Amino acid sequence: MKKYQPWIGLLSRLILGGVLLAAGLLKYQHLDKSQMAVRAYELLPVSLANILGIVLPFVEIAVGVLLVIGAGVRISALVGGVLMGAFMIGIAQAWARGLSIDCGCFGGGGQVEPGTANYLPELLRDGGLALLAIYLFRYPQSKFGLDRQRSNGEMNNG
Amino acid sequence: MANQNPGKDNFTRNLVIAVVVGVILLMLVPTLLSKRTNTSAAIPASVSADRGYGIVFNEGLKGVPLIDIYEDFQCPICAQFEKMQGDYIESLITAKKATVVYHTLSFLGPESVNAANAAACSADENKFLGYHRALYANQPAENTGVWSNDVLGILGQAAGITSKKFTSCVNDMAYQGWVNNVAQAGAKANVNSTPTVFINGKEIDRKTEYFSADKFKAAVERG
Repeated sequence: MKKYQPWIGLLSRLILGGVLLAAGLLKYQHLDKSQMAVRAYELLPVSLANILGIVLPFVEIAVGVLLVIGAGVRISALVGGVLMGAFMIGIAQAWARGLSIDCGCFGGGGQVEPGTANYLPELLRDGGLALLAIYLFRYPQSKFGLDRQRSNGEMNNG
Repeated sequence: MANQNPGKDNFTRNLVIAVVVGVILLMLVPTLLSKRTNTSAAIPASVSADRGYGIVFNEGLKGVPLIDIYEDFQCPICAQFEKMQGDYIESLITAKKATVVYHTLSFLGPESVNAANAAACSADENKFLGYHRALYANQPAENTGVWSNDVLGILGQAAGITSKKFTSCVNDMAYQGWVNNVAQAGAKANVNSTPTVFINGKEIDRKTEYFSADKFKAAVERG
């Protein structure tokens, strides 16, 4: 297990970081829509939701980049995990309240036709990503990262 | 133990983290600033800042319903709405039976911004309603490059606009700042979908009233 652990770490970093990076870049291209997506959750006051809609894509891009290059993995994984937790709360409350919204996870967002919202796969996906984040927080050592490795002999500055 | 050489690796890593976070912050701050309402932006004729920078028809009529329509010229459902209710809404305007405010949002992308800007130019020509109709009648698929400013300028002819001033207004994106202000006002009004219709400040029922001629009419008359 110990031998494979850095490879599992690498894989987790690339999946979690890659997803966050992609999500952030897609939102960045349509910030009006990103604001709309956050508002549609009806969880935050409108003015706060509008700010979050702009800030969120930038945070996702930053955390995504840091995870992919493996710098500050522990903190990045923590932020990524907190994001996934927040997304799951948002989606779950939208589902429970019977809102019909697009999660806006990868761009898009806002209200959709009643009955076409699809919350379960989104929750499962974010749950899986949250597990990766927890794993990375607990075991941040991984192959080809910039963080200093503790005891594993070989390392690479990637 | 060669890897234990202290400092070097952490320095690279910290530098990389600082650069990534720094670049992101440098991009974020101007973006946040650009999303603020620019009160000095040029605004087209018949626009009221107090009405969310919308294009207003029949301002000042007393005792008639106020209809706010939030739309994006690239949104296919908005085109369906226009087809279904457009004539009725125009008839309300001509008969002075309602105050109507058009909010031309642009969240679907750059060609929505072009179209909203061109629509503002048509308002200066007093041809907004005709141009509005022409845009929806010629709506292409989203952001396929069809709605360039050249095409939007020529489309003016479909609404009987022939002036050079219109063409240059479209090509110069004279109302780009205003388009952004409309978007910000829509965000503040918590509009999360297009089309969105408010009658006297209250959204009509999304399940039933948008796409039924009778029910929409009843909603307007109910006020």
